[in-house]
Parts: sequence; structure tokens; C-alpha cells
Amino acid sequence: MEQKKDIRKISGLLKSVSKPGRYTGGEFGEVIKEKANIKARFALCFPDTYEIGMSNLGIRILYGLLNEQPDIWCERAFAPWVDMEAKLRELSIPLSALESGDPLCEFDIVGFSLQYELCYTNVLNMLSLAGIPLRAADRGEDAPIIIGGGPCTYNPEPLADFFDCFAIGDGEDVTIEFTRLYIEMKESGEYTRSGFLRRAAAAVKGIYVPSLYEVSYNADGTIKEYTPVGADISPRIVRRVVTDLDAAYFPRRLVMPYIETVHDRIMLEVARGCIRGCRFCQAGMVCRPVRERSPELLDRQAQELFYATGYDEISLCSLSVSDYTRLPELTGRLLGWTDDCMVSLSLPSLRVDSFSVELMEKAASVRASALTFAPEAGTQRLRDVINKNVTDEDIENAVRVAFGFGKTSVKLYFMQGLPTETFEDLDGIAEVARGVVREYYHSPARPKGRRPTVTVSVSNFIPKPFTPFQWEAQDSPELLREKQEYLKEKLSDRDIRYQYHDVGISHIEAVLARGDRRLSAALELACREGFHFDAWDEHFNYERWMEVFERTRIDPAFYANREHRYDEVLPWDIIDCGVTKKFLWRERERAYEGKTTPNCRESCQGCGMSRFAGGLCRACGGCE
Amino acid sequence: MTEKNIRAPEPRVVRLKFIKVGALQYISHLDLQRTMARVLARSRIPVWYTEGFNPHIKLVFAAPLAVGVESVCEFLDIRVTGEIPCGEIVRRLNDELTDELRVVEAYYPDTKFSEIAAADYVYKIKTAGAGEELASKIKKYLTTPPVMVTRKTKSGEQEIDIAKIISRLEVSFSEAEGIVEMSARLPAGSSLSISPELPIDALRAGGLILAGDITEEGYSILRTRLLFADGREFW
Repeated sequence: MEQKKDIRKISGLLKSVSKPGRYTGGEFGEVIKEKANIKARFALCFPDTYEIGMSNLGIRILYGLLNEQPDIWCERAFAPWVDMEAKLRELSIPLSALESGDPLCEFDIVGFSLQYELCYTNVLNMLSLAGIPLRAADRGEDAPIIIGGGPCTYNPEPLADFFDCFAIGDGEDVTIEFTRLYIEMKESGEYTRSGFLRRAAAAVKGIYVPSLYEVSYNADGTIKEYTPVGADISPRIVRRVVTDLDAAYFPRRLVMPYIETVHDRIMLEVARGCIRGCRFCQAGMVCRPVRERSPELLDRQAQELFYATGYDEISLCSLSVSDYTRLPELTGRLLGWTDDCMVSLSLPSLRVDSFSVELMEKAASVRASALTFAPEAGTQRLRDVINKNVTDEDIENAVRVAFGFGKTSVKLYFMQGLPTETFEDLDGIAEVARGVVREYYHSPARPKGRRPTVTVSVSNFIPKPFTPFQWEAQDSPELLREKQEYLKEKLSDRDIRYQYHDVGISHIEAVLARGDRRLSAALELACREGFHFDAWDEHFNYERWMEVFERTRIDPAFYANREHRYDEVLPWDIIDCGVTKKFLWRERERAYEGKTTPNCRESCQGCGMSRFAGGLCRACGGCE
Repeated sequence: MTEKNIRAPEPRVVRLKFIKVGALQYISHLDLQRTMARVLARSRIPVWYTEGFNPHIKLVFAAPLAVGVESVCEFLDIRVTGEIPCGEIVRRLNDELTDELRVVEAYYPDTKFSEIAAADYVYKIKTAGAGEELASKIKKYLTTPPVMVTRKTKSGEQEIDIAKIISRLEVSFSEAEGIVEMSARLPAGSSLSISPELPIDALRAGGLILAGDITEEGYSILRTRLLFADGREFW
């Protein structure tokens, strides 16, 4: 029996859209299985374009992991671009998976990777295109189970009404356990939709079933409490943690996209977690503790992947690559063969305080790549507030090394709107940028007659759940715009390029990031109104979002621009990511005192993570 | 790197004949180049890299194929640096490819891509009113000048008479498949290359085909042969 989709059936469609290679499937490495042997069909969905989704490491891992199971067939689905969506709607063709071409509504489990808040409208749009009822409560026995995972599930509440469940934390083990339970209950005949979800919530750690909790509210609009519907339902969902990264699943072959994707290279995950504790950074808090892979294993994985893919670039991935303790050993091993294989090494997310001549030599070994640094704030005072432990001197040193190697362009990332920020801190951003330009002109290695390009990219601060700044108010859109105008004037130097983010997008992101279940009304209306690709400037429309909030009687400022109280029940209190509220509040107080906090390797701050007994925390034991 | 290339034996050109069908027809030429470079790298065939700041595998394709056209006669010249039999090259490459992108032959060429002058195409058209009558109508239409169509070139748009350019046109109706089958020869050389989509454009503009529902109607184009100027098949 032919299990693969027949693209001839949709040739008219493919010939009428841009980039048809997004929709054909058929890549080398794609997994096709015999349907007769399959007990659960899993549709792994990424709510953005193929090019972005295929670049996601989590998707690569889960696709390989699920398909390793002989009785599970995992396929992929992405958000169709607007031209394809229009055709699908016009011709009433349901959204389908790439491998079999079967509509998503025929799958057992449909899993969404939730990477950023602005993709929520794409999630709903994909459900709608697949003909799956948007609200979990409206789905019948035959509808697929809709599960979400990824960074946004640390506060999944705005999506709570649309998802049957969420998997919180590292996805490797929980996804398999969940799917196994599904198969078990289907086979024994015990399966009912609600029965399965209830059992999953009770038996599979890290599974959150929102319909099993009732939420009540106070008169001021804040949450009063979450009440589980039964004694077997845990009052909080503890995040899943893969404690030993060397033992964790790693894909040995990949689906090879034919069309160019965003990260078209080998991604080598050297570590999870981050020792730093920057106070604005959600990933740095929720991915604790730091867990590293050994250089021996990473080198072996890189070689295997090179021979399985033919990629000519390896990118080391983690929240802060230069904090990887055995980086010299790893790069040494890799460079032992990559040059001969014409493979280049890229080291993203470098910290200025650890940037050295040695590192630069390695990154430049085959091909030069653009250098980016993230001082995040313009003054030492504000960098101390956010616990970004880098100094002006570190920045100068780092760019001196870069320019010493003949580099002419450097990109600097900053944030505006951070707690306690004043206009003097914005002046500081301009100061740092001008300092970098000065370094360039002082560099003896600079190419004759070439001007430097110093790109200053300034994003807007968004208070995120599970950070010491989770209680902060975001600056009003008006103030953020004023600050952007101010910076534009300050950064008019012709060697400096100023880039900034859309304030409207940042505002909506802040609303969704700290939203609760009441936002579902707005998201549902947004979907009905045809919202999609909100993370894309050309499709985002702030005024229409405001209109949606008004029509659903939601005050966006309540979520984005209100300072939350310490004793307030927060929507994400239902999730236990490991760090304690007490620790986060302590960090917030230190921020306001301008005190920095040592990183996890210098001394344990008792954040609460040690109970997972993994990675760095296994060696530490410093928590209470 | 330079050191290595000096030590390496003189690279030898090996020509690959391959097919590009099914899903692969939607992959652009640029994407195909990137794909082939990766396939060569992972197949561990010793190939020559260009020297310089950004070394890459040297690939030369014959008569690049447009997106949406299938082919059983694609040619690619690679430069091999080590001793490796042609049969081994085919085997190793096909281990890294799918059925829709497949090497059929590898050999040492003694012709040049610049000698290619034309290409043969087979069209399968599923359209309302397909039948013997439509087939003869199409044949008559495409062979009676003028049939003006707009051709997009690098320097802009150009009106050409496709009836004067098309040759060896055969049109028939396939009862079994319920489709119109058409074969045609079009220029495919460096001085003039005509997109195989143009006859379709002409038939569409003339209101003969594909005016209905795109889920029901459609067409496929298959390149079957590349030819020298004297009409012999290119190899």
C-alpha cells in the first residue's frame, strides 16, 4: 500500500503558490511508514513557515525520537504561507501533514511546538484550516488530542481553552510516555477522550490538562485560585527535566530540506540551561540547572551528522556557548577534522567577558562569520540591575580582538524599557556604540579605507513569567516609542546602524506572555478575524489587535503595563518550573538595590533547582 | 587547504546524468545546487573544492530546469580528485538520494554543455473537454502563426511567436488517462532558451485549456531529451 502522499493530486495547487517546496515533502531523510503497523499517528506541528520550523532543534529531536518507535509514525505540518492558505480555504482543502498528505484531523495526536507568543494566532489558524474545533471542549471523541510543548508552556494559560493538554519542560521522555499511554488505552479499549486526559494528568509527570482546574477571580480582576477537580489531580505541574544530557536522545540522521531554511546547518546542543541568571531572561531561569554534554560525545555526534547530512557548517548551540566548561577541548576535537571536511564552525551567543583571541581563531578557522555581542544595557548601573555581569572594559576587549582579526562589522544587542531605566541609560547605549567605533579606528589591523559597521539592535523589554522581573510593568507603548525616537537621534553617527523592534508587537507579546485564560476570547476572535503570522511585521496590525481586545472587553494594560503584586496569584503559578517564587523575589529586590548575583558556578543561590539533582546542581547541593 | 589541493591529483571531470521528478520539480536550481553539494559531501566522494576565501564544491549544470518541470535528462559535471570508478560514484550518490532525484549514469564526458541546442518535452494536460477534438484543435492552434506569447528574459519582457519556434509538435488524446498528451521540441541553447511553460501559456491565453478548477485540472511537463544542433541526442 502506498503510504506516501501523491503530490500529483495537488499539482495545480503547488504551481499556483510561491515556494512550493514548502509543501511537497519528499526530502531525503523523511520517514514514511506502513500505516497498518502504526498504533499512533503523531502530527508534529510548527506554527510558522517550513523554513523556520525545519530549523528548530526541538522539532528535529522529537521527529527522530518518535519515529524511532516502530508503532508510532510522526509526521510534520507547518503553517501554510498566506497565498497557500487562501487557496486551501478557497478550495476547502484541509491542512495536511507533509509525509502522508493526510489531513491533521485524521491523526491521533496533534502536537504544537510553542516557541513564541506571537505564533498563537497561527496555532488557532492551523486548527481551523485542519477543520479541528478550536476549543478543547467542543472536540468530539474522534478528534485528535491537541498537545502543546516548548518555551511558551511555562505560561500556557492564554491557550488553555484550546489545548487538551501541555507537556511542561524537556520533551524527550514525556512525549513518549504520553503517546505510549494513548496506545495502551486504545488497545485495552479503555480509551475515552476525557478518561485518557485524566489518566495522563495523573500518571504522566509534566502533563498539564487545563480543563481539570477551575479558575476563580477576585473583584480587581486578579486570580483568586486554581482548584483541581479531583484529589488525584496535582495542584501544580512540575516541569520535566532530562538530567543527563549524554544519555538523552540525539537524532543521528535528519530530514534534509531542499529549500533554504533559517538554520541550514548542524546544530550541536552542547548544554541546556545557563549559569548566569540575567534577571530579564526566561530561558536562563526555566532551563536550570546547567547540564553539559561531554566533548567526546559531541564530537562523535557532529561527525555522524556530517556524514549523514553533508552540511558544511556546525553551530554550537546553548544559551551561552562560551560558558561551556570544556569549550577548548570541544573545539580542539572538532577542528581536528572539520577543516579537512571543509566544514566551518560557528559559535553564536558569545559573551563579551569570555571572548578571547583563542576563541576568535577557532571561529575564523574556515569562514568568517558575523560577530554579535549582547551588552543588553548601556550603563554599568543598569547592567548590574539586570545582572548582566559584563563591564565596558569587557566590551572594549571583545571588539578589540574582533577588529584585530580584520573584522569590520559588529552587532550589539540592547534592550530598552528595562526596570529602573532612565534616559541616561539610553545615552549609555550610544556611548557604548561610539566606544566600539573608536576601538575600530584605533585598531592597527583595520583594512585601509574601510569604515566599520556597528549595528545597534535594540529590542523592547518584555516581562516574562518565571523571571525576577515577572512582576514588572512594561513601559507604555507611548514611552517605548519616545525612547526609540530618542535613541534614533543619539545614534545618528554614520558608522552606526540603529535597528529597533516594533513597539506594537512587543506590547502584544507582553499581554500574551503574562495572560490568563480570559485571553482565549480575544485569541478566538483574532482567529475568526483572520489573524495570522503576527510575528511577521507585514502581517501584524496593532490597531486590529486593540480592536479585538476592546470587543472582548479585555484591557491589555492589565496584563502588560500593570505592576503585579508579590502576593498575587499569577496565571503561571499552576506550573512549577523549579525556581521558587521566593528566589525570584529576592533577585528582584537585589535588582532594585543594584546588586549583582554570582553565577551558579561561583556560588549556589538556592534557587530551588537542586531538587532535580541534575547537571551542575548534582555537584552543588547548595540549596536548602 | 591550499596545501591539500597541491597534493591532490589533478581533478577529473565526471558527468552525472540524473532525473529530477515528482516533488523535486518544485525545487529551484539554486536549491538543487546546494542539495547536490551536500549529497556529494555526505557520499564521501573525493571532490575538488574551489580555492580562496570561501571554498565550495565546483558544480556545473547543463540547461537549468525551471521550477514545475520534471526531467529524466539532467546533466551535472563534477570534479573528482581521487581514484573512484564511475559505477561506485553512482552507487554512493544514490545511497544519499531519493527516488525522485536519482543518478542514472556517471561517465567521463567528451562533449560540452555549450553544444546543447534544444530539448524535447512531453506534456500531460488534464482539462475540461479533453478529447480527440481538443487534441487536433491544440495542434492546429500551435502550428498556425502568429501565436504571440510573452517571454520573460533577464532584460525584460519580449513578445515572441511560439508557433514559429516550436517544432516536432505531436498532440494526442489518451483515452485511458482521459488527458491530452503533447510532445514538442524547443530551443534550449545558450543563445536562445525557451521555457516549456510558454506553450501552456499560449493554450491558456487562447482559452483552449485549464480554465476551470485547479483541483480538477492541471498539467505536467517532462523533459525527456537534450539535443545537439543537428538533432542527435546529447550525452
